[in-house]
Amino acid sequence: MIFGRPLRKSIIGISFLLLLGSVALAAVEAPPAPWTVDALVALLKEQREPSMAFEEATYSSLLTEPLKVRGLLRFTPPATMEKAITEPFRERYVIEGDRVLFESERKGIKQTISLEDYPPLRSFVDAFRASFTGDAVQLQKVYAVTLEGTRRQWTFLLRPREAAGQSMVDYILFAGSEGRVATIAIRLPDGDRSVMTVLREPTR
Amino acid sequence: MSRRFGVMGLWALAMVCGLWLVAVQVSVHSELADLLPEGTTATQRLLLTQVRTGVAGRLMLLAIEGGDPDELAQASREFGTRLRATGHFTVIGNGVQALSKQDQELLFRSRYLLSRQMAPEAFSVESLRHALEQRLDDLRSPLASMIKETIPGDPTGAFLGILKDWAGQEGPAKHRGVWMSKDHSKALLIAETRATGFDADAQTTIQRDIRETFEDLPDRPDSLRLLMSGPGVFAVEIKQTIEAEIWWLSTAASTLVVLLLYASYRSVTLVLLSVIPLSTGIVAGILAVNSWFGFIHGITLGFGITLLGVVDDYPIHLFSHVHVRGSAPAVIRAIWPTMRLGVLTTVIGFSSLLLSGFPALAQLGLFAVVGLIAAALVTRYVLPVCVPPAFVPREVPQAIVPSLRRLTRAKWLVPGAVVLATFTLLWSDTPLWQTDLGSLSPVSEARKHLDQQLRQDLGAPDVRDLLVIEGPTAEDVLQRGETVMPRLEQLRAGDLVAGYDLISSYLPSHRSQQARQQALPERSVLEHNLRIALSGLPFAPGLFTPFLDSIDVARTQAMIDRDTFKSTAVGMKLASLLIEQQGQWSAVVPLRGVADRRRLGDTVAEWHAPGVAYVDLKEESNRLMTAYRDRTLAIVAWGLLVIAVVLAVGLKSISVLRPVLLPMLSALVVVAAVVNAAGESLSLFHVATFLLVIGLGLDYALFFNRPEGTGEERARTLYGLLVCSATTILVFGVLACSTIPVLHAIGMTAAIGSFCCLLFAGMMADEEAHADA
Repeated sequence: MIFGRPLRKSIIGISFLLLLGSVALAAVEAPPAPWTVDALVALLKEQREPSMAFEEATYSSLLTEPLKVRGLLRFTPPATMEKAITEPFRERYVIEGDRVLFESERKGIKQTISLEDYPPLRSFVDAFRASFTGDAVQLQKVYAVTLEGTRRQWTFLLRPREAAGQSMVDYILFAGSEGRVATIAIRLPDGDRSVMTVLREPTR
Repeated sequence: MSRRFGVMGLWALAMVCGLWLVAVQVSVHSELADLLPEGTTATQRLLLTQVRTGVAGRLMLLAIEGGDPDELAQASREFGTRLRATGHFTVIGNGVQALSKQDQELLFRSRYLLSRQMAPEAFSVESLRHALEQRLDDLRSPLASMIKETIPGDPTGAFLGILKDWAGQEGPAKHRGVWMSKDHSKALLIAETRATGFDADAQTTIQRDIRETFEDLPDRPDSLRLLMSGPGVFAVEIKQTIEAEIWWLSTAASTLVVLLLYASYRSVTLVLLSVIPLSTGIVAGILAVNSWFGFIHGITLGFGITLLGVVDDYPIHLFSHVHVRGSAPAVIRAIWPTMRLGVLTTVIGFSSLLLSGFPALAQLGLFAVVGLIAAALVTRYVLPVCVPPAFVPREVPQAIVPSLRRLTRAKWLVPGAVVLATFTLLWSDTPLWQTDLGSLSPVSEARKHLDQQLRQDLGAPDVRDLLVIEGPTAEDVLQRGETVMPRLEQLRAGDLVAGYDLISSYLPSHRSQQARQQALPERSVLEHNLRIALSGLPFAPGLFTPFLDSIDVARTQAMIDRDTFKSTAVGMKLASLLIEQQGQWSAVVPLRGVADRRRLGDTVAEWHAPGVAYVDLKEESNRLMTAYRDRTLAIVAWGLLVIAVVLAVGLKSISVLRPVLLPMLSALVVVAAVVNAAGESLSLFHVATFLLVIGLGLDYALFFNRPEGTGEERARTLYGLLVCSATTILVFGVLACSTIPVLHAIGMTAAIGSFCCLLFAGMMADEEAHADA
């Protein structure tokens, strides 16, 4: 016998203390994590809803008043996104990986296109996808990001890092509270922009 | 003695001049297209032009493999961009939009003349309203930023329609915007070279640049490999094959001939002397072909070495009769009549090739005729005086005469062999005649397989099926194309044709352009209609001024034709679809995925559209080959007849024809049977070689049947014949090993043929006449 009775007793005592300590630590409220891009993106993913109703207004120098559409945004993990316009006409874009299924009732079109062939579309899709799937690293690779405000009221600004991206989009601006997005504004280099407002109604 | 040196000096001088001319003047080609005939019918000429310069020949299929789909897509994109920048290509297709900015601007400016949507009602209030509403939808779509800038100038979407036509039918599957094989293991590209597919030199440069471009791709994973196929790639391979083979074939053949000559006569002098007629014949042949055709083809050169095997018969005949009692000049005087007759018949045989109208055969024929005559004349007039006075070739084995006598007892074997051969031909599973032009191509099976694979992946037309629309002017052809278009569209909607590429999809006739132009409204009318159509729509005021201006310009715009787009990618495309040839215009319409050729042919015929015909290129090229083969067969038959007459006159006897002609004819039947039994079908080139066999056979038969005095003389003749035929069989045997189908066919036919001729002539020799003597 190597250990004497007193020694064994003290080992048990120490273990008990350690156990107590860790329980106590867990019980204490963690200090609020710093409000960072990583935190926001993680939160967006966590509180993401399977579908969001939206209203989108397009402002263009070609137009005297904004054009409005309503529809639904859907996310199906891992990476399928759908933008379905329901009013004033029905049109659907289902984005899965690189492929976009485009369906338009009014034009009688149903076709699959590649994101690579539509660079502007691609830059939006990348921004949306990275934001809502928690991929902060990918997001910051393409965009210079600025997070302002507080956790309760934040704005999240994305600007393309490279010239190719800058020629297609000026900025994308998310605004919201906690893990919920309230508006997404996209401004193009020519000054035209669209504002998507997420409607807080119960979704079906 | 002085005369002897005089003759030798003259010959040497002539040879030096000849060699100098060969070195300076002769240009050697290796392009297969140079060997193709002109064609006799308009369709054939069109076909051959297509083969030579058409888009089919300029198409190159490229693939990148050995990476994951993302790497492949990335590489394909970058590769495509860089290839476009090389300037070698009119089109690089890899799935990415390929029209240049210049082309797009030109198309945009011409949109109201080019667009098929332009009907008179296109500018009515209702049509405009409908179009404007669609543009609003476009502005609301996520793709708005891509089409926005065309809206003020083109609210009716005419330009977008044109772009859609140019984007063409659906291509292969795509991954990340570029073409991929279905299993995503290969990124696929199509390149259309500016140079024709048969221009092997240009193709060599282009292919080298392609490889370098690929090697230099930035961030290219090392595992990626480049695959290339298409007529241009084949042309380069063929050129290399021909060049390499000609070299080793001639080396092997000449070495073997020299060795055999030495082994037979154990005399270096004799071998050196034989070189005199041999070299003269070849140099004369090369010069004659080059001055007549302007070039000599590599295949003709390769064939030229086989002349070694025929021409060396002449000095051998001479040497085999030189013995102690007779000097060389005396001997040549004695055997010249027989030799002259042999030369004459052989020359008749070959000169008929000149009449075949097939440049490949004509070259071979001319080469042989000139080479043989030159060699024979040198053997007659130069060679004898060059033979040293004390030169005596070694004694020949006397046992050869009784052996021949034994052989003649097996005379019955000849008809036996002919009967057997006939049955073989009748019962064989191998088709007697080869009709596939493709079988003449020396391209390796592996390459052909890769080509087929890539074409399948790409859905690229293997350019077999064409619709040809002909007319006296470009305008006629374009108008005819416009009438045919809806019908073609019907076929496409059905299941008969998967796709087509018709000039009218891109370039309307002047008539249509004028009609469109006249239907364009005046500015005031258009402004009025537009104002009504715009009411209640949120477009900015004055937004469509560029549209009004464009219509104004278009009302007096010059007509668009093929030349408007000269030297752009669009122009090259148009030039490949609409071609002018000898004052006649034709539109070539490649068809994809033809389900039923017969039904398509019938359907097109039922249209009763003037100047419109369906052409199955494969069928047509086979018909072409068959026509030339039949012509050659007829020529061979006539040649044979003429030879028989010449022989009868020369020998002053008809009865002698039997032992001379029969063995040769029997040999032809047996050769055909042996070639067939070896699993080969007879092609044009086999048939042409029959003439060679006839010539050789006659030569043997003539010498076998030469009336001669002594047994020793007889032994010399026979020994000479043995050596002659051995060298011939050797040389053609070497040729039969060639991978170039033309040379292989000639070599195989001639080797078997000369063996049979020798055997049969020996068996059927009129031995009793000699025994009595």
